[in-house]
Amino acid sequence: MTIYPLVLATLTFGAVFSVLTLSLNLQYARGGMINFGTVAYFAAGAYAYAIFTQEPPSGLDQYWFGFDLPWYIGLLAAGVASLLFALITGWPTLRLRGEYLALTTFAFAEVFHSVLLNERRIGNGSVGLANVERPDPTTLGLNDTVGYALAAVILMLVTAYVFNRLLKSPFGRAIDAVHDDEIAAQAVGKDDARIRLQVFIISAVPIGFAGALYAMITTLVAPALFTAEVTFFVWIALALGGEKTIIGAILGAMALVLFQEIVGAIPFETVRAAQIASSVEEIVTGILFIIVLRLRPWEKLAKRAAA
Amino acid sequence: MTLFLQFVLTGVVTGSFLILATIGFSFTRRVEGFLNIAHPELLGVSAFTTWGLNVMLGWHIVPSAVVGIIFTAFVGLIIGRVVYDPIRTLGPAILLITSVGVHYVLGGSVDALVGTGIRSLDIPLAESYRFWGLRITNYQLLVIVFAALATTGLALFLNKTPMGLAIRAMSANPELAASRGIDVKSTSRITWLISSGLAGLAGVMLAVIATLSTDIAFHQILQILAVAILAGLGSLYAVVAAGLIIGIAMDVSVFWIPAGYRPLVAFSVVILVLMFRPEGLAGKKSR
Repeated sequence: MTIYPLVLATLTFGAVFSVLTLSLNLQYARGGMINFGTVAYFAAGAYAYAIFTQEPPSGLDQYWFGFDLPWYIGLLAAGVASLLFALITGWPTLRLRGEYLALTTFAFAEVFHSVLLNERRIGNGSVGLANVERPDPTTLGLNDTVGYALAAVILMLVTAYVFNRLLKSPFGRAIDAVHDDEIAAQAVGKDDARIRLQVFIISAVPIGFAGALYAMITTLVAPALFTAEVTFFVWIALALGGEKTIIGAILGAMALVLFQEIVGAIPFETVRAAQIASSVEEIVTGILFIIVLRLRPWEKLAKRAAA
Repeated sequence: MTLFLQFVLTGVVTGSFLILATIGFSFTRRVEGFLNIAHPELLGVSAFTTWGLNVMLGWHIVPSAVVGIIFTAFVGLIIGRVVYDPIRTLGPAILLITSVGVHYVLGGSVDALVGTGIRSLDIPLAESYRFWGLRITNYQLLVIVFAALATTGLALFLNKTPMGLAIRAMSANPELAASRGIDVKSTSRITWLISSGLAGLAGVMLAVIATLSTDIAFHQILQILAVAILAGLGSLYAVVAAGLIIGIAMDVSVFWIPAGYRPLVAFSVVILVLMFRPEGLAGKKSR
């Protein structure tokens, strides 16, 4: 096994999941909202992309719509779908706080997953949509995998840049004000519910784009790819990287993906051994996560740097 | 009409199982103050310990179940002491997120030890009783009986014993309770034993009425969360009402829409309720 494909895969998937972690960072660390349904916005983007670019159904296909449009329209549709889903779920739930919000967003994600799984007319049910259309990087003179790694990294960097600018703007200060002292923020005329909804929607859009990119990379959208495990994964990445910084969100996601890619790359003799390895990977991830949350090394480092 | 009533009856059984699965979760939330996402994994620990003793070692089901439940109670106690106690001061959000890590550790351990595949306990086939055209099996009755026993037992314990009083005091105001001489450590220990033991009982019931696969524990979390949110995160009696509402809603919905939508029904009920009562059915108007 060579190191090159490992690095490339880590970069690609790490960057895709970094976008999710960055959005969560904006929602949780800055907006104070616990969103436990991240996967739904990701899935909304991926499905929107697939439905808009897929050919119309034929033969045994059970989905109703396939618009066969070019990929960039699909990408746009992914962002819009994620935005709309954030609007639909955010509007009724954002007056809930803390764990109630966490549970309700989780509930929305599960309902969405259940609809995708059972409603064959949307995305072919559990079978999903295969052979998703994708732009061809070779037209730019790039190798397929390199092209998509590059695309993922660009999406990640743009997201990080936009979020960074946003948080440094007056709007960013308003977010912090609502987070730190809601009543004081209200007193100076900031509509906290509105700001919270705005943060929710703004942070959902890049997740939609990431979903579309993920669909292009895997060329498949199916409910099995979008389970609550994705949400948990992003939370773990966020906690690993330290919830306060943008670079931390990226590093956390990269580290976690690298770890999974390494375990995935180890050759196993038997199916049972591979099974045990993936279970052990889960256990190690969990323990790592518990330890990081317990010791909170990043926060201590930040404090020391500030002192 | 009979068919409809049959669905209602099945719903009562489902609801009773959900009550068993949720009271421990809800109890932890009330006393320890956070949502333990890893709670359903304890159902899996108990179900597979019982299965291991019963099928692999050939024990009778009753001692297998008893050992399974006790073992699970201690697993929960140890996790509580080692993982959650030291970070309790960091607030419910961090505890909630940490419990996701615990969920991975427990789920992964069960997977590693048991492996994939579908299993069932070595117990006699269910006997079916008929009355007024309705059917119920002895195992389904057992679930209802245990749900009733566990609920009343916990209610009596909390209301009639000094230990129960201490637990209620601690859940209401931990600082005050500690300053009045209540031993917070031992109260917390009892809480973990009870809630994990209840998860253990629910796990055994799951093994009795359903076939087991290692991902079964995770699927329970959806319904457990639904019941807990609907109940308002904490009240014991509300859990009973919420469990029955969701159980019956899920099973009766099969009357009109495909069975695959059962979890969707559970969550739709919850989302609807939360829109009108943001703190759940029995929620207090605090925060």
